[in-house]
Amino acid sequence: MTDISERPHKKRRFFVDDSPEQKTTFDPQPSLPDEIEPLPEANNYSTSNGVPATKDDGFDRETFKAVTGAELEEHAFQALQHEFGDNVERAINAFFDGSWKEAPAVKSPAPNGLHAHRPVSQSRSPGQAPTRTPPAAVKPTSTPPQAPALESMPGKRYIGALGVNGWSTKSGSGLLKDGDVVKIERPTQPTGPQKTAGRGGKGKQVGRKNPDVVVRFTDKRGYELGRLEQEVATWMSALIDQRVCLFEGHCIYAPERLRTNDTVILQLRCYLLKQTFEAGNFIKPQENNRQTGIFEAKETQDERSLRMRQIGLVKLFSEINLQPSKVNETTAKHKREGILQAAEIAEQYEDSSASNKKSTSDKSTPAENGGSSPPSEKDNEAEEGEELEQDQLDTLYKKAQSFDFDTPVAEPVKTFAMDLRKYQKQALHWMINKETSQGQDHKEQQSMHPLWEEYHWPVKDAEDKDLPAVSGQDTFYVNPYSGELSLDFPVQEQNCLGGVLADEMGLGKTIEMLSLIHSHISPEQEAAMASASAKKADGVNSLPRLSKGSSSIEPAPATTLVVAPMSLLAQWASEAEKASSAGSLKVLVYYGTEKNIDLKTICCASNAASAPNVVITSYGVVLSESNSVASAHGGNKGASSGLFSLDYWRIILDEGHMIKNRQSKTARACYELSATHRWVLTGTPIVNRLEDLFSLVRFLRVEPWANFSFWKTFITTPFEKGEFVRALDVVQTVLEPLVLRRTKDMKTPDGEALVPLPPRTIEIEKVKLSDPEREVYNHIFARAKRTFAANVEAGTLMKSYTTIFAQILRLRQSCCHPVLTRNKTLLAEEESAAADSDIANGLADDMDLSALLERFQAEEDEQDAARFGSHVLKQIQEEADMECPICSEEPMVEQAVTGCWHSACRGCLVDYIERQTAKGEVPRCFNCREPVSLRDVFEVVRHEDEDSDSEEEDADGKEAAGRLTSAMDIDADEDELYTSTQPSATKPKPPPRISLRRINQLSSAKITTLLRQLKALKRADPTTKVVIFSQFTSFLDLLAPALSSASVSHLRFDGSMSQKNRTATLATFNSRPKFTVLLLSLRAGGVGLNLTVANKVFMMDPWWSWAVEAQAIDRVHRMGQGQEVRVVRLVVEGSIEEKMLRVQERKKFIASSLGMMSDEEKKAQRIEDIRELLS
Amino acid sequence: MTAPLPKRIIKETERLQTEPVPGISAQPHDDNARYFDVMVQGPDGSCYEGGVFSLELFLPDDYPMTPPRIRFLTRIYHPNIDRLGRICLDVLKNNWSPALQIRTILLSIQALLGAPNPEDPLNEAVAKQWKENQGEAIKTAREWTKLYAQPKQ
Repeated sequence: MTDISERPHKKRRFFVDDSPEQKTTFDPQPSLPDEIEPLPEANNYSTSNGVPATKDDGFDRETFKAVTGAELEEHAFQALQHEFGDNVERAINAFFDGSWKEAPAVKSPAPNGLHAHRPVSQSRSPGQAPTRTPPAAVKPTSTPPQAPALESMPGKRYIGALGVNGWSTKSGSGLLKDGDVVKIERPTQPTGPQKTAGRGGKGKQVGRKNPDVVVRFTDKRGYELGRLEQEVATWMSALIDQRVCLFEGHCIYAPERLRTNDTVILQLRCYLLKQTFEAGNFIKPQENNRQTGIFEAKETQDERSLRMRQIGLVKLFSEINLQPSKVNETTAKHKREGILQAAEIAEQYEDSSASNKKSTSDKSTPAENGGSSPPSEKDNEAEEGEELEQDQLDTLYKKAQSFDFDTPVAEPVKTFAMDLRKYQKQALHWMINKETSQGQDHKEQQSMHPLWEEYHWPVKDAEDKDLPAVSGQDTFYVNPYSGELSLDFPVQEQNCLGGVLADEMGLGKTIEMLSLIHSHISPEQEAAMASASAKKADGVNSLPRLSKGSSSIEPAPATTLVVAPMSLLAQWASEAEKASSAGSLKVLVYYGTEKNIDLKTICCASNAASAPNVVITSYGVVLSESNSVASAHGGNKGASSGLFSLDYWRIILDEGHMIKNRQSKTARACYELSATHRWVLTGTPIVNRLEDLFSLVRFLRVEPWANFSFWKTFITTPFEKGEFVRALDVVQTVLEPLVLRRTKDMKTPDGEALVPLPPRTIEIEKVKLSDPEREVYNHIFARAKRTFAANVEAGTLMKSYTTIFAQILRLRQSCCHPVLTRNKTLLAEEESAAADSDIANGLADDMDLSALLERFQAEEDEQDAARFGSHVLKQIQEEADMECPICSEEPMVEQAVTGCWHSACRGCLVDYIERQTAKGEVPRCFNCREPVSLRDVFEVVRHEDEDSDSEEEDADGKEAAGRLTSAMDIDADEDELYTSTQPSATKPKPPPRISLRRINQLSSAKITTLLRQLKALKRADPTTKVVIFSQFTSFLDLLAPALSSASVSHLRFDGSMSQKNRTATLATFNSRPKFTVLLLSLRAGGVGLNLTVANKVFMMDPWWSWAVEAQAIDRVHRMGQGQEVRVVRLVVEGSIEEKMLRVQERKKFIASSLGMMSDEEKKAQRIEDIRELLS
Repeated sequence: MTAPLPKRIIKETERLQTEPVPGISAQPHDDNARYFDVMVQGPDGSCYEGGVFSLELFLPDDYPMTPPRIRFLTRIYHPNIDRLGRICLDVLKNNWSPALQIRTILLSIQALLGAPNPEDPLNEAVAKQWKENQGEAIKTAREWTKLYAQPKQ
């Protein structure tokens, strides 16, 4: 950097607080060049600090009051205002977490004072090399045509004039006077590192990151008179260097006697050069911009130039006040300033996100995302972008949901065997429209590409003189986002022949999609079907054939590829079956493991008539095939024979939010699938970040939004800057044409619900812990509180976050069942985290707790099952109806047997053993006087239900039973120690199967409550189906035997089950005609399942956010549910669970502030949650 | 004091009436169903043959968790029965089990008459006599039986 590349400033040093004003303030006092310190390079391009200038009146106290509900004194407001400028959100956050009090009372100027406090800020240290991904890697979204118009374009063409300030580098009189013509030029411009001699004679080796931006003005002879103000020079230099513009200047004002650093005012006439319109002038970013991986690349020199050019053009147009004569509606909404700002901010943004990333990876605490949810499974690929809050999401959806009930309907074709509701027919119409809309609207009137703006060439110049006209060329076009220029009309390309079907869960997205599959088939398939039937008539066989060795991607015109989560594959297949009249749809479930299936051959165009119409596969298969294409075929998709070898007629991603992280391998794999029509089904197009939507758009290949740089410029950056309205506004315009979304609570104009769903009631059942349970709870509670307090005191709260969280987890578990806190088999990932920290905080060898827990714990069973002769079981069975030898009840009440197989009522037996123990005697069997112990008392469980069940299944048909019983048996065997089945053939009415189970496991209050409720439900309606959710699979493990002993038939469904077992379990649950309980882990049950066969739901434990629970409940309360749904939430009285409900409530309330928090702040928020939980 | 009678006692009482054990009878008092008048015949072939011994039997509140209390009312010369009629029998003490009943206990007592056990004496004098001069002891027992345990005509 030459010493005088900028106008000298007086003693400018590395000010921490270099506010924009300071930079632009004119300093009339020249300083000695030797004293000039270079400015931090970071400031070369930005005149703002990335934070909106603080306005004194920008702080909205009303908002602040409304949210916090606090009346603050004047000085408090001032302090907050001072600290947070007009960012009310931050002020509110700070108010809630209390950090505002620690903020220095007075600090100037506000924006930087803020930075000093924020680890994740946009400030950056001077001299730090900018690291960035390419924000300007804007792919030209429409190719500027090779214009014949170019020929008639003159070498340069006037577009406007502007006044600029310069400063002189010479002194002397008469050097420059008003009206003198000056040349505007750049010093010969080497790029890259350059050696320049400082004026003070010091040679400086400066490794330039940013090219020189000096623009000088010279007299007619070419002697330098001075330079332009840096602000102007910054963008002008780029335009001159890149031969976009030519400037001609003349002096408006110069002092009579010119001294160095005097201000000179110049008027510049600006011309666009012909060559800028020539193809090749515009260096396109690489065409493979879209390829995965590029996103992470650093900005290249070319990309940087592009960005500078873009900024320059936008600035220029704004300086000369040239307004577009026509803009696309979409972009009209966004002020040009915004574009500029976004582009400039890119620099700082990159920086801050880099440090952001560093900070997240440094301390990868388990709970970085997801509100204040507990440590959760984290995608390896970190997600980016800030989270959205519910109200923001609502705003976003509002527009997409403004569904017009008068939109036309489409009738599905006859092969579609189901009846559609009206709104579903409307969806069909909309979808068919989307798929066929290619050029439909645009044939009559071509619309301009959304990114381009049309400008009229000025006809008069600044002095109102006529300019030479060029015939047939009144307009030119600019893409202000990329800096491209064109003389030809940029046509909008309609390139997305699909969209996002985002109807809320339960409205029948699958059915709607299937109706589309039936109703809109490719011309090729139509032809194939016609010729196939013709051939059939001719008796000619058509054999599958494919030109061997074809290494290109083959079209699959008859095939729709459905990608869905594993758990939904079966559902898709059966729905597809149900929705189609016999033989009208060929469905293939593709697991990728069937080596004999050559998708490429069976689906290719020449086999269109016999090809599967729907291929259903999972995200996992897509991912693994994508990997193998990459490794085995060197990325040549055509060479493979799997999913990637085809160009489908249509692709449907079900539960499309599976690809919400654009950097995940799965998402990338899905982008690579080829199809004419691309659809995404999801109830939540945006889960919690705007980037979620990007990934969908990317998959759909919606231009220009599929370009991440573009997306970032328009959405991410403004959003992260706090300009939510603008960012969300853009998102809405993206969503609107793309998304069809209806919600369950929508009403038709006549006030009817879209889908009349039966009502849903949610009640909270308070559970009172038994004394021993309460002891365990209190013990853990006290310990957690101690840990918390100790860490508060030591100030290590953030560090020990995981530890504290683990203790909270223990507490929550102890509410369910004390033994959960000591579970040896760690099932949930949460628990392993908990176990780790157990060791850290000594919970693992906590003898007190062990003692408390002992009474709940069952010894592992070590008995030899062989000791159990069949005759014993038979005897026990026979004795069951006899009277109790102790109390003479007949039959025995809850028959139980000793280890020596003598039966009595459970109560009598236990009572007797306890009496003997109390007397200090060794308990002995009442019958044979063998020593016995409570541990060896078994409860006799009779399986009347199961027996009748299997009989029915046998009668129903083997194919169902064969599949289903296996799952059932596994279920049953796990629970019971011993089993005896009477051969059913010998007797017409065989005695019930019995099994034995230890009784010494104390139940928990929750289990008892649950059982009581279940029994009542069963009595009221012996055919009811119940779904029970718990987030702890280990709790489900305890529930299962408890249910068995209560003779409640139950099934289990969790994430660890194989696909086959899941399918079988669900089928059993659906088909079993009697009272049945489905045990579901909250997480496995979260997605896609249809459990409408049940209408009673028990939530065994509260989750951090109600939304997750609500989603689970919606598995039952969704379309197809015919009965009122009753939900019971079990909550332990006076426990952390009650407090969690309060946190859930509060979350809804202050949610809006959460989205704007940094990770640290979120943590702080969670700490706040914990504080409340432990209060 | 008028707690409902447990099913166990009701059933035992009924069965004692409907399925009487030969040589044994037990009759509850009208005013106290837990209090039984018991008659036990001396087993045939024993020195108590021909005697009819009367006992009292009381079922405590926690019966059958604790054994019934039984005492001979009739005087009897027996090494395991003291002068007050108290009986030394394991099943009435440590070896009680709730599975035992009035009926089984009375049978045990009857058996005890048939097989006196001087090794585990309650009445030391009788036991001593029994061990040192069994013939004399048996004779005395017979006499006592004739003297005290004659069925009322």
